[in-house]
Amino acid sequence: MTRPQPSRAPARLCTLLLASAGLLAPVGGRAEEPVSFSRQIRPILADSCFSCHGPDANARKANLRLDTVDGATADLGGFAAIVPGSPEESEVLLRIEEELAEHRMPPPDSGKSLSRNQIDLIRRWIEQGAPWEGHWAFSPPSRVEPPPVVDEEWCRNPIDRFILSPLERDGIAPSPVADRVTLIRRASLDVIGLPPTPEEVDAFLADDSPDAYEALIDRLLASPHFGERWGRLWLDMARYADSNGYSIDAPREIWLYRDWVIDALNRDLPFDEFTLDQLAGDLRPGATTEQLVATGFHRNTPINQEGGIDREQFRIESVIDRLNTTGTVWLGLTVGCAQCHDHKYDPISQVDYYRLFAFLNSVDEPTIPVASPEDIARREEIERQVADYLSEIERDPKLLAIQKSWEENLDAPARQRQSQEVREAFDATPFDKRTPEANRVVFAAFIDQSDAPEVTPHREALQKIKADLPSIPTTMVVREQASPRETRFLMGGDFTRPGEVVEPGVPSVLPPLRSRSAGRPDRLDLARWLVDPANPLTARVTVNRIWQAYFGRGIVETGEDFGTQGTPPSHPELLDWLATEFVARGWSQKAIHRLILTSNAYRQASAHRPELSEIDPGNRRLARQSRLRIEAELIRDSALVASGLLHPKIGGPSVFPPQPDGVMSLGQVDRGWTADQGPDRYRRGMYTFFWRATPHPLLVGFDAPDGTFACTRRARSNTPLQALMLLNDEAFFEFASALADRVLATGPTDDAGRIDLAFRLCLARHPDEAESARLAELLEGQRAHALGNSGAGADPEAAERSAWTAVARVLLNLDEFITRE
Amino acid sequence: MTPPVESEPMTDLPPLLRSTRRHFFERCGIGLGSMALGSILGGNAPARDVGRSRSNDPLAPRPGHLEPRAKRVIYLFMAGGPSQLELFDHKPELQRLHNQPIPSSYLEGKRFAFMDTFAKEPPRLLGTRRAFARHGDSGAWVSECLPHTARVADDLTFVKSVWTEPVNHAPAKLYMNSGTTQFGRPSMGAWLTYGIGSEADDLPGFVVLQSGPRGPRGGSVLWGSGFLPTAYQGVPFRNGPEPILDLSRPEGVSPADQAATLDAIGDLNRRRLDSTGDPEIATRIASYEMAFRMQTSAPELIDLSGESKATLDLYGVEPGVPSFATNCLLARRLVERGTRFVQLYHTNWDHHGGPTENLEDSLDTVCRDVDRACAALVTDLKARGLLQDTLVIWGGEFGRTPMGEVREKIGRNHHPDAFTMWMAGGGVKPGLTLGETDEFGFSGIEDRVHVHDLQATILHLLGLDHTRLTYRFQGRDFRLTDVGGRVVEKLLA
Repeated sequence: MTRPQPSRAPARLCTLLLASAGLLAPVGGRAEEPVSFSRQIRPILADSCFSCHGPDANARKANLRLDTVDGATADLGGFAAIVPGSPEESEVLLRIEEELAEHRMPPPDSGKSLSRNQIDLIRRWIEQGAPWEGHWAFSPPSRVEPPPVVDEEWCRNPIDRFILSPLERDGIAPSPVADRVTLIRRASLDVIGLPPTPEEVDAFLADDSPDAYEALIDRLLASPHFGERWGRLWLDMARYADSNGYSIDAPREIWLYRDWVIDALNRDLPFDEFTLDQLAGDLRPGATTEQLVATGFHRNTPINQEGGIDREQFRIESVIDRLNTTGTVWLGLTVGCAQCHDHKYDPISQVDYYRLFAFLNSVDEPTIPVASPEDIARREEIERQVADYLSEIERDPKLLAIQKSWEENLDAPARQRQSQEVREAFDATPFDKRTPEANRVVFAAFIDQSDAPEVTPHREALQKIKADLPSIPTTMVVREQASPRETRFLMGGDFTRPGEVVEPGVPSVLPPLRSRSAGRPDRLDLARWLVDPANPLTARVTVNRIWQAYFGRGIVETGEDFGTQGTPPSHPELLDWLATEFVARGWSQKAIHRLILTSNAYRQASAHRPELSEIDPGNRRLARQSRLRIEAELIRDSALVASGLLHPKIGGPSVFPPQPDGVMSLGQVDRGWTADQGPDRYRRGMYTFFWRATPHPLLVGFDAPDGTFACTRRARSNTPLQALMLLNDEAFFEFASALADRVLATGPTDDAGRIDLAFRLCLARHPDEAESARLAELLEGQRAHALGNSGAGADPEAAERSAWTAVARVLLNLDEFITRE
Repeated sequence: MTPPVESEPMTDLPPLLRSTRRHFFERCGIGLGSMALGSILGGNAPARDVGRSRSNDPLAPRPGHLEPRAKRVIYLFMAGGPSQLELFDHKPELQRLHNQPIPSSYLEGKRFAFMDTFAKEPPRLLGTRRAFARHGDSGAWVSECLPHTARVADDLTFVKSVWTEPVNHAPAKLYMNSGTTQFGRPSMGAWLTYGIGSEADDLPGFVVLQSGPRGPRGGSVLWGSGFLPTAYQGVPFRNGPEPILDLSRPEGVSPADQAATLDAIGDLNRRRLDSTGDPEIATRIASYEMAFRMQTSAPELIDLSGESKATLDLYGVEPGVPSFATNCLLARRLVERGTRFVQLYHTNWDHHGGPTENLEDSLDTVCRDVDRACAALVTDLKARGLLQDTLVIWGGEFGRTPMGEVREKIGRNHHPDAFTMWMAGGGVKPGLTLGETDEFGFSGIEDRVHVHDLQATILHLLGLDHTRLTYRFQGRDFRLTDVGGRVVEKLLA
């Protein structure tokens, strides 16, 4: 059945968005204007009707389906839900306008109801012939020419036309360009996650060439810190952590994957390659070590090491997590909803779910050493010597007797601290029944830990053997099994109720999968399908996420859900333009970054505009930039830069900056936390060792994700606990003291000059007079107080330091310090 | 909750509250388009005068859907899974058939943790060695392990037929707290404070206290806020003089220094608010003010010097010694000060039969740890007139099997099909024992209460309809009870 397609109505879009968010009063008198099915009608149907009259066959009521044109217009026995052109004959309209509550749709117990405005929209849409369109996100992006604008001057690149055109239509002026100090601080925080130094600010201000700003952007995009800043956002989705999660939460080694992400972003590895390597690097022809490391993406799933678990259950949970993550990150679809039943809103059946599941169901999960072949050979040789040594002594009854008592005297925490293998050996067989082979791993731990005098010489001998053991990092990777594991449909998503065998495949609503060979398609085929330019979602979802970081909110606000329940795009043509541009530019992420960063839309001032607060409270129309509280890691990084303490090393094993005592005891196993004393104490926040059960409080407190599921956008909360951390935390006090020292050592000698320097180190700009005066007042008060307190033996130097530390603490606690303006 | 696309009219709200509430939800990062802006619950919440203005405070108290029976919750979480068969569920038949193999009909289709231990030999029934008696006018069964609890039996409501789904600790704890084994969902305390805020404006609304030899399995996700804003996550209190992280001033900073610093921060933030007009700065200013108040209120909270010796003795508190008893007393002091949800975790109830985890001496130890203080808490709340609107909940993440495990000492495996919890106070029927299990205590045979039913009932008691307390995330309205749950009417007073 073909129906006339209505022309799109972008002019109304923003008004309509507001209407659908309930922010506008009902609008009348527009009967002749075409109603858009996909923007106006489908969202209403999806929200209020699809749960009973949608894709899920098992939940469908009255055999009525409203998510397809055939279902909606089907003959239901002399009548139809929707009769195009004839609202009075359409059962849908009769039922939603029904006065008797018991006959009205949606039924009262659903908790849903339609507003007058929504009912009128449906009526007008039926009057106009009920034109049907597929959900916008399942059609490929269509490249629209950037619209004409009156103010050509304002537009620095096509993005600006898409933003300005609807603003002009409604008579809204965009905001002026932000001042240059704000621009450099904003761009620095956004692109590399570090604030600019006063020298960088001065250089930028002094550069009066016409392309000074573009040069700044190019410098930032070329910085090796770009990969850190944007890598961290990618790691949010990869659910990266340094421990296994659940109850035992043992440490894991997978930082090489983290470093791979940083490096891949820095060299602008095209996004299609970036995808193939992470999802199927092991299957790529002639896979390199780097490509194997990249498959760590899907090894970031939590692992339950609790005693007594059913391993198959948790293996399946890992596959589910990988599938749902893939759906969220690449497709922007909530495929996880179809694990137990057909998706309620989107055309993804439960069979579709297990067909996708089948792609990911046949993997082994090895940990590989990453080092030169010589180092690996050397290590194997040493391990052989250790094994030989142990096999010589492991039957010695005297040692075994000592081992027995060592083992019996281990208290619960000490047992918990043993490695997984040792604990499993404890659990598997009591000491007396263990064969020497079964005892080997415990015996080795005993020799390593016991302080009995008989053991010491052996430990020393072993230490000698191990003396030149090369340190070889390992990382967790995915490897396809030689023969694929059979995948079965799981009834109700329950692994104890397997059903029919299913073969790998993709949902029929999306373009077909093209396999590389005639055989069974594999994970690499799936990855290639995701980045096939014909896929309508991947490019849109990816550019939307980049946009989200630069404006605080995506063009599609629900960046993780492009399905029918997601929010419609605020600027659909812009989204499609960016998506097609992304593919046309060879999937270069940096190209998209540069486009956005150099637009005038991005450069606008962020000050609130009272006249817009009613018509555009969420700043969806982007007549200004947004003020955004910076992410947890960036708060730490900014303080490290301001105080001059930052150790800018990129990559390597995760580190242990100070954290308050007692945090680690909140988990089942008290892992202990010894703060680093050397340069690692001052590394960027993203390198802080992340224990899933007991994450560093600064990270949790400022909304860093907990590493248990793919997070595509962080919340930005604002709590008293955050205030306490910035005010009182040992680490922040250390930063404040260092900032004070820095100002005293390197600044001018007068108070005003020093205040100015401290201010610029923290906020990039100069203080105004009132700000300067307020800080001077604090400084003098604190100085007098410090001198007064110490009485006759006052140490002026210490008093000076403490007074300046107070000033530094104020600056590090300002809202502006943790905000990207 | 309101239909997510349409918002309620907001005409009853004063302009400041209106703008800041709206503002808050816009900034919380998730679900703007779908968020009803008038009130979280879809009603038109009148602003309440709570002394200080809390218009910028996401935890400001607000009414729920229904008239509440309870205003606050103290949840005594017995981590590890206490054995109902040693404590509450008296099964003479189990004792009679001690050491007989369990009839295979009980095991068909069932899943257990440590399935492999059952594979070694068929599991045998384990009769308890503990003596049981009926107590109080209600005649509730309580074993000799919990003599103090037995004394207050008439104030308690026992549910013997609670059942859950997961069989391993971390997933089951997550399930009890968030209604699902999936990560990323809010916990019960987060849902409650999201729904109705907290009366406390100088202490957190959701506090977690811990005692016992180790932390609970699962860690921070158990009191996480999931996809809700982090303002609703539980705040773990620490033992010692600084209950809240970073509460104390840095070393060498005097109270006067701190006050001067805070004043300057406030002044400069206010200037910035004027120049940018961003109400988020107003929220930040309010956060600093509350942080400042906490620096006084939290030390005052944990200072037990004002408690009488009789009270300390009632709980069994030794001043300065961290314990479950101290935490129970702190819980009372927290709810007195308006905290909405206090959750106490006590480890370790995981009595499989190992040398340090068994139903012999280890069970005695943990019972001694908690028994007196649990009873004291109920008694004390009652004496202060707080019990009537404070809901106390006692229980673990699952129960234990009627079959024994073959280990060094006597022990039992994890068991999800039937276990006992008790509640007291706020709107539940005192002296009631609800539910019954079969002859071995394997499954509930009457009035089974699923975890979602329990959660629905708890929300109901606090004035919230579990089907309407929802949050839209990833295109779906999520709720604590997932797609299940019904209010257990029989429990209501």
